[in-house]
Amino acid sequence: MIAGLVLLGGGVAVGLFGSLLGLGGGILLVPLLTLGFGRPLREAVAISLVSVIVTSSAGAGVYLRKHVANLRLGMVLELFTACGALVGGLIAFALPVPVLEGLFAVLLGYVAFNMLRRRPPASAATAVAQQPADEMLAPPADESVEPVAVPAVGAVEVPQAAASSSSPFVRSLSGPGYTVTRMPFGVVGAVFAGVVSALLGVGGGIVKVPLMNLAMGVPLKVATATSNMMIGITATSSAVIYLLRDEINPYIAGPVALGVFAGASVGARVINRVDTRLLQNLFIAVLIVTAAQMAAKALGL
Amino acid sequence: MDGARVNETAYRLESRVSRLLVIGTYLAIGIVLVGVVMLLASGADPLALATPPFDLRQIPADIAAGKPEGFLWLGLVAVLALPLGRVIVAGLGFLAARDTRLALVSLAVLLVVTASVLAALCLEG
Repeated sequence: MIAGLVLLGGGVAVGLFGSLLGLGGGILLVPLLTLGFGRPLREAVAISLVSVIVTSSAGAGVYLRKHVANLRLGMVLELFTACGALVGGLIAFALPVPVLEGLFAVLLGYVAFNMLRRRPPASAATAVAQQPADEMLAPPADESVEPVAVPAVGAVEVPQAAASSSSPFVRSLSGPGYTVTRMPFGVVGAVFAGVVSALLGVGGGIVKVPLMNLAMGVPLKVATATSNMMIGITATSSAVIYLLRDEINPYIAGPVALGVFAGASVGARVINRVDTRLLQNLFIAVLIVTAAQMAAKALGL
Repeated sequence: MDGARVNETAYRLESRVSRLLVIGTYLAIGIVLVGVVMLLASGADPLALATPPFDLRQIPADIAAGKPEGFLWLGLVAVLALPLGRVIVAGLGFLAARDTRLALVSLAVLLVVTASVLAALCLEG
């Protein structure tokens, strides 16, 4: 019983800190399960994917209700993330575990570096500013914002030539106030995000959000919400491979997914009342230490 | 399709899909919660239990027998099925709105997930 409660508590902590820091559950959950609970990496990745789907579905539900996520664009891009996830899910079983551990260490290091670089000046460090904000439930920042009025906020200036050269179909994926452009970038990035997600058990928002925002002219808030929605299918495409290969342990996945859901729900409600800057600094340190531990494990040290 | 109609269809669909996701998530998590409570009440150590092989046909029997794994598997399968349900609902919505291209995209997404299942089964075999 104690172990079950510890798993549940671990899930709550991951969900809570993930939503407060705008990070996806996977980046925290995989190290917790491997380094903290001594679970095999593939099992940890599989459980992480399940948790990511839970928070993504709940978050996407809210985002869609508020019409922040772009359903049409998300569905087109998720076709390619799903392809990437299929490939990644298969590669995950072909690659030696130390290689996966090494890749995860690189990802942790990258996220730590990114957080360090983008630290906001004040406590208003909201999740949306961080790319991997994907797996959050409903970011409270959205509560007061009328999504239909979002258009220009965070939109990137797209050259007129790029916008006008888009096909009518690509333009039909646009939303109010912005035009979707450079679809080929989106396609390639979506495949890559799917591979990363399936290999490492993360949402892949770290790739998709900047891609949509910077390359495709999608406002940051819409990109974050759309990426969140896409995670469900991306993670499902690879999670079924893990499921059918008996890599999902329901006795661990159940308490952890439940905990992550509860923690993320609480986090989304208290984020405006918490000074996340201190938390973020602490977390960067934790990420760096975890990356070092994961790298040491990969190298057999 | 003209822009206004595309937006109107998308808005209606988004609301419908949103309801599915929110209700579905709570339902799936509720089932997982039942399994977790039963697991905790049984006093078993989840970390010491081996992964039971996944067998969809065994779930009803496990639930009828009051085994936690029955509820846990059902909840987890429901979690995995949610995004697929979202794609199906959206695809049908696009079809009803005669947005053929998006309906085909939805179908293609489902085919990719089916390919994942087949690939996993092939690897298993």
